[in-house]
Amino acid sequence: MSAPTSHRDNLGTNLLEVRDLTVNFETVDRIVEVLKDVSIRVGREEVVGVVGESGSGKSTLAQTVIGVLDTPPARITKGTVGFEGKEILQRSDKKINFRGKGINMIFQEPLTSLNPVYSVHDQMEEAVNIGEPKMEKKEKETVIRKSLREVMIRDVEGVLNVYPHQLSGGMRQRVSIAMVLVQKPKLLILDEPTTGLDLIVQRKIISLILNLKKEILSSILLITHDLEVAAYMCDRVYVMYAGRVVESGNMKEVLQRPLHPYTTMLKNSVPEGYAKEGSLKVSSGAPPDLRHLPSGCAFHPRCQSAKDECRSKIPELKAKKDGREVACWLYE
Amino acid sequence: MNEPILEVENLTVQFKKKTKLFQSAGDEDKWKRVLDSISFSIKQGETFGIVGETGSGKTTLARTLVGIYRPKEYRIKLNGKQIDFRKREDILLLRKNIGIVFQDPVGSLNPRVTVSEIISEGLPDQQRLTDEQLGKKIKEASELVELPESKLEAYPTELSGGEKQRVSLARTLIGGKKILVLDEPTSSLDVSIQAQILNLLIGLKNELSISYIFITHDLNVIKFMCDRVAVLYYGQILEQGNTHEIFERPRHPYTADLIGANLSFTSSSEFSVAHESGEPSREGCIYQNSCGKRYTACEKSPPIFDLGKSLVKCWLYDYAEKSRAGSPREK
Repeated sequence: MSAPTSHRDNLGTNLLEVRDLTVNFETVDRIVEVLKDVSIRVGREEVVGVVGESGSGKSTLAQTVIGVLDTPPARITKGTVGFEGKEILQRSDKKINFRGKGINMIFQEPLTSLNPVYSVHDQMEEAVNIGEPKMEKKEKETVIRKSLREVMIRDVEGVLNVYPHQLSGGMRQRVSIAMVLVQKPKLLILDEPTTGLDLIVQRKIISLILNLKKEILSSILLITHDLEVAAYMCDRVYVMYAGRVVESGNMKEVLQRPLHPYTTMLKNSVPEGYAKEGSLKVSSGAPPDLRHLPSGCAFHPRCQSAKDECRSKIPELKAKKDGREVACWLYE
Repeated sequence: MNEPILEVENLTVQFKKKTKLFQSAGDEDKWKRVLDSISFSIKQGETFGIVGETGSGKTTLARTLVGIYRPKEYRIKLNGKQIDFRKREDILLLRKNIGIVFQDPVGSLNPRVTVSEIISEGLPDQQRLTDEQLGKKIKEASELVELPESKLEAYPTELSGGEKQRVSLARTLIGGKKILVLDEPTSSLDVSIQAQILNLLIGLKNELSISYIFITHDLNVIKFMCDRVAVLYYGQILEQGNTHEIFERPRHPYTADLIGANLSFTSSSEFSVAHESGEPSREGCIYQNSCGKRYTACEKSPPIFDLGKSLVKCWLYDYAEKSRAGSPREK
């Protein structure tokens, strides 16, 4: 395995630029490729989605970008992650502290990402301290309260004194958003931010995030399995399958005119309309086990238009017109 | 055919609250009503959807219908026969006719026995069958749910999420059950696998003319699967009726809020977060603390109004009462 590429210049004008990222999970008896040559970019003020089912590598991608990937068992074997033109993957010096004000993340389950033994106030204060260590105590308190009000918490004083387990799921997620807000990150990564929340709460959180995005002008990288949430929030989308990006492009166009057969299947899997309108168009099979990937294109066993080529050779992600990209032999 | 096979009237289930040491709670406070006077009925071959958020009592309802919990008040008729929860034979009758598929396929399958043994659990009289007959029945059931024969001798841990749900389904189908209670059967599955299971359920219903009670929080799935829908909110059915009617003309403010919050590919980009959600009210209308259309009448608990295609538990539809109380009050 080749050594990770060292610092590269010219990482572009994009806020985030991930190039050829390859991540393995290495255990005693086997090596599993979880991400393979993944390249994504997030422009300034852009909302970009990464959509995929379980095992697609979407969460590993998010963890690598923000630098919380456990190494070992994971090992980054190839690729670069550029943030504001600087390489952040190989950065061992603590000088370029990109977390917090640079990149910040909201996790799926706020109960595990919030600290159970600190009150909401103390956790918020910690977040402020990281962003503005020299701020005066009085000003810190104002910032904390303002931030909680911005996420539509009515009883600010009440919430400040409780512990995470005393809050409902929606309130917890609001608190974790408020904690991120005080730092005003340039890039916000959302890993399934609304999964497990009730419908009305989910919609409120999504509206809240989009409104805050307008105000503090940060970019968003949304990791989700939910095509409907992605369709609602994102400008551009990357569709992942078995560790690779199989299609990307403008969200609306990808949805209207999916190129990759997997994207088509994903779209057709979502129940729409009333039952009398027939069954869902979906092929059999399940997302593959990354330990035993099929040869060639990983999707070929489930693909109705698979050709001989698909079974033997892995298609590369190639640019099409209108900024679309697709990795499929049908378009060669 | 048009006779309902299951009729449920005034079903009330309550759980004992945890009380602190030395705290003497009044009788009122000791019990928590998880289901409050629920009434509905199901015909043969019909899919009845129950939609509700966390804490609405969806799972309690599912479990009560298969006799896991004993309700406080009820009038349940199965094929015209009155069910008495105190009689063991009635509970057995309930379980013989109503099967359940749980949300969590991992927790509901015994990890120590093979798939074929799990499927045979669904047969109440399996000891009377010869091995050959039993094997034939298991094979038939697994063919119904499109489970490959090679998986019959596997253990649950060797199966994918979708296959586990197929095993759960086969276990209920083998006993020839007439009604299946599906408690969030697809919410732990990937979208493409969910689609496969939904297709399978539609096919099975057409083939066996069984009825489903489909419980889920996912409105798109309800819309796609169900003939009729009930909207459950903290133990009360606030609205029920024909699926098309409920989605096109939601009458109860809660139903309207839910449908407005639901995302689909055709969702409009704006969503007004005009009113805040509050706790369910203990007196009067249960939804009044979260309702954007609350007015004075809501201080009393509303009866159920029959609007022809739907039943709604909301004072907005009591026109006489409304004109007496004046126009809807701003919150």
